[in-house]
Amino acid sequence: MSDFFLLISLPYVAMFSLITVTIYRFKSKKFSLSSLSSQFLEKDKLFWGSVPWHMGIGIIFLGHVVAFTMPKLLQALVSKTNILYILEGIGLIAAMFALGGLVVLFLRRLRNARIQAVTSNMDLIILSLLTLQILLGILVATLYRWGAAWAPSTVTPYLWSILSFRPDVSYVASMPLIIKAHIVIAWVIILFMPFSRLIHIFALPLEYITRLPQIVVWNSRRLKEEVIIAQLEAQSRRHFLKSAFGITTGLILLSIGIADKVIPFFRGPSLSAKEKEEMLKNKLEKMKATIKQKELENERLVNEYIYIADLKDLKTDEGLYFTDYSMKPALAFKDERGLPLLYSAKCTHLGCTVTNKVKNGKLLCPCHISHFDVKTGDVLDGPAPKALPTVKFILMDQSQQIVINPDKSKLNEYKVYIIKEGNT
Amino acid sequence: MKMLNTLSGFIKERFPLENMNMKSMLMKKVVPVHKLSWAYYLGGLTLLFFIIQVLTGLFLLFYYQPTVNEAYDSVKFITEKVPGGAVIRNMHTWSSSAMILCAIIHFLTTFAMKAFEKPREITWWSGVVLIFITFTFGFSGYLLPWHQLSVNATKVGLQFIGAVGQYLPGVLSELPNKLIEIIQGGPSIGQETLSRFFAIHIVILPLAILAILGVHLLSVQLHGMSKGVSRNVEKTEPFFPNFLIKDFSLWAIVFLILFILSITIPFESFFPYPLTEPYNPLGSTPDGIKPEWYFFFLYYPMELLPFWVIIVAMGVLVVGLFLVPRIFQGTKRKTLRFLSWLAFAYFVIMTVFGEAIFEMIKGVK
Repeated sequence: MSDFFLLISLPYVAMFSLITVTIYRFKSKKFSLSSLSSQFLEKDKLFWGSVPWHMGIGIIFLGHVVAFTMPKLLQALVSKTNILYILEGIGLIAAMFALGGLVVLFLRRLRNARIQAVTSNMDLIILSLLTLQILLGILVATLYRWGAAWAPSTVTPYLWSILSFRPDVSYVASMPLIIKAHIVIAWVIILFMPFSRLIHIFALPLEYITRLPQIVVWNSRRLKEEVIIAQLEAQSRRHFLKSAFGITTGLILLSIGIADKVIPFFRGPSLSAKEKEEMLKNKLEKMKATIKQKELENERLVNEYIYIADLKDLKTDEGLYFTDYSMKPALAFKDERGLPLLYSAKCTHLGCTVTNKVKNGKLLCPCHISHFDVKTGDVLDGPAPKALPTVKFILMDQSQQIVINPDKSKLNEYKVYIIKEGNT
Repeated sequence: MKMLNTLSGFIKERFPLENMNMKSMLMKKVVPVHKLSWAYYLGGLTLLFFIIQVLTGLFLLFYYQPTVNEAYDSVKFITEKVPGGAVIRNMHTWSSSAMILCAIIHFLTTFAMKAFEKPREITWWSGVVLIFITFTFGFSGYLLPWHQLSVNATKVGLQFIGAVGQYLPGVLSELPNKLIEIIQGGPSIGQETLSRFFAIHIVILPLAILAILGVHLLSVQLHGMSKGVSRNVEKTEPFFPNFLIKDFSLWAIVFLILFILSITIPFESFFPYPLTEPYNPLGSTPDGIKPEWYFFFLYYPMELLPFWVIIVAMGVLVVGLFLVPRIFQGTKRKTLRFLSWLAFAYFVIMTVFGEAIFEMIKGVK
């Protein structure tokens, strides 16, 4: 029953009064639409109260508007926890700002004699309501964490149900008392809004954000001059504050962006078991290749001659890559007589590795298009200055004896070895 | 003794102690406003890219492993697995190119504006050294990913040193090859080369550049911005804060562009895949090995002209660059501007059309 009264009847009464009384005041008492400045009575405390209050409540209000008008977007955003933390953090800081400002304003109303003279009962009611509302809001945010995540699917549908004249309290009926109180006080504030100074919200509120503070002066020539100077100073200060605000916002966004990239970078990737396995396998293969490479190196240090291939496996049109004694790539072919033909594969121009495919009796270095004769290693064209050096080799038969005069009928049985420099 | 006195007088004039204070170096400095004022931003921009290089480079160090076995895989790990790793690596590559481009344009504009005039000789000389260091940065960093392109291009680059040998008499002719072996740490490019290039790239060059950059910036602040144009400049703006704010605003915009570029376009997407395969010491060298674009202006002439022409030209150029304050002492800015344009045109033509010119002359493809 109380739910029905506070969460359905009250909203409609509040909205009705808001619309009708606001229109009435706009039509008939236009002058009263302001917040009735008391700056000329007291301005120091006003600054430290009014500015934080308006900055804080502005941000808070914006957050509520987003949750109300774009619940889907907000939910998508806060599904990333770091965005949720940032938004809630900003909200909480803004709330503290607003509360601090409000307390200053409240004390000012209560303690300054000049201000008290112009303070109405409605002012005090509004101040109390706002203070209560901010406190409730902070409580909601801290006791029932992550409102940005749960509100779009609970409070927003409730608000829409009220606005679309299909009231439905079921969305919020089972909520904790504090949250309900926050909602009810919101309606009460809206109810009082048109009767109080809060109506100034509807009088071009956007301008408040950037306009110069108005300075009220008594009518005197000397003061007028002072005011012009003060205005100029205020203008310059405002300019500085605006740019400082812009730069700070930019820097904060930049730091958030950089932190968003950098922190996970340092934290490193979280790999799945499969990825780990793949990487490990790859690493092992590389290690095996290295072992092979080192063995080749060792073999070249120790052995007087090294096995390259069986003579029968060599081809005339496609070379076999092997590593020569100086660990550089070399190529093995078979010539027309069936004997081996071994060249260094290191191009004599700039050291690229020559291809192993023979085309029209020519070998190509792809780097600068030099061609070499496959029969002699001589340069046919291109920038290479010298012929490909041949690599010294010996043939051995099946009984591991060095063959001096190769027997043409036994060529297939021979094995090709390269020999160390200096040996013949 | 007389020479010592001249020397100390020379240095005193270039580093006036009475001006070494915040007031005269920062607060009182003014920046001339004229048609060529945009050129005053180029040095700062180069510095921005250098700072980005240092930071992203430090980040990459967390995962990069400078061994023949691991280098390629660790780079791949950074780009594919580490969160944000691709952006940071792309930033490092994009920013390296941007840094070199800015340095070249900065170099040409300062020449055109006659910013090497007395008392700014030391600024000029340190600048020349800085640009050489910057190129060495590019060359040494190129090897580190250890893929086909990077290793083979380094191989080709180093062999150019060896090619000098053919012009040296007798025993000396083997000297360049010995020099290559010292740089490589062995008869062919391998682990030793990678370790050396790594050390050069991440420790030696940064230390060198920091020292010389210090001298460079100190003398810029000491002597203020060069006037830049021949007629009298009446309009100036304070360096602090007006110029500095504009400078930083430009940095912000450029950083944004670089960031977007790094998120969207990997630098390696300009190379066909086989070139970015892991380096294979035994296979044949793949087609299309060439250095980074900023070496084209040097590389294609090397391919086309007899090698001794290149050696002579390079020697003249290097010595000439250091003697610029002497040679062009009395030259009008108009002439210097023309020379700068000429050099710029050559650089652009060789960079953009170098390959086409090469193929046209050699008649390949």
